Amino acid sequence: MPDPEDKRAIRLDQFLAHPPAKVWRALTEPELVARWLMPNDFQAVVGHRFTFTTKPVESTGFEGVVHCQVLELEPEKLLRISWSDGRNADWTVTWRLEGEGRGTRLFLDHEGFDPDDAMQQMARRIMGGGWRSRHFAAIAGVLATL
Amino acid sequence: MTADHVFTALASPARRELLRLLLDEGVQPAGRLAERFDMSRPSVSEHLKVLKDAGLVAETRRGRERLYRLEAAPLMEIRDWLSPYERFWRDRIGGLSDLLDEMEDEEDA
Repeated sequence: MPDPEDKRAIRLDQFLAHPPAKVWRALTEPELVARWLMPNDFQAVVGHRFTFTTKPVESTGFEGVVHCQVLELEPEKLLRISWSDGRNADWTVTWRLEGEGRGTRLFLDHEGFDPDDAMQQMARRIMGGGWRSRHFAAIAGVLATL
Repeated sequence: MTADHVFTALASPARRELLRLLLDEGVQPAGRLAERFDMSRPSVSEHLKVLKDAGLVAETRRGRERLYRLEAAPLMEIRDWLSPYERFWRDRIGGLSDLLDEMEDEEDA
């Protein structure tokens, strides 16, 4: 059971009104993945190395290529890949599928964040009581741009 | 209480300053907060009311004074906005959901 307080991870889940077999296709067929995530040369083979390509983000130094490897694969149930933008290593992204009624509950775990990364941890500091005014100023700045 | 209320409340520099004072200096009466601003006391009270309505501050009475304290809980609502990766994945999962709907149409066709 993942620790919900784990500050190194993002955990999301979403109900999709489609059966797991179909969701699995959308997660593992490269041309389908390209339509909702990014162009890629994914293959559903453990150990396969592949990339996602997208637009570079100059402000963050992201060059537009995500380097990945298939770490674990269980058809229609689980897909775990490594995920690196070339600057921050050792992230993993795990998709888990569970049948729910006629649809699928899709779980995403994006793990391995640096606990020292200010943006990632800001929300935790707010809730953890260690909130400081400099963080608040940063939040206000973010909100002002929305 | 909705995220919209929180965003609106935070959109004002005066209200952000009120929150900052409560954050840095803790619980205090409306009168002491008002002294820190050039604006009239009723204007400050109005700002405090907006913050209270958004759930960002809580009000208690002590004799004739109204005491205000910061409430961090509503900021949970904007947590998504502060975490770019969480936002990224929420957007992408939205795209996945749309794609699945389209696949149905393609396969029915």
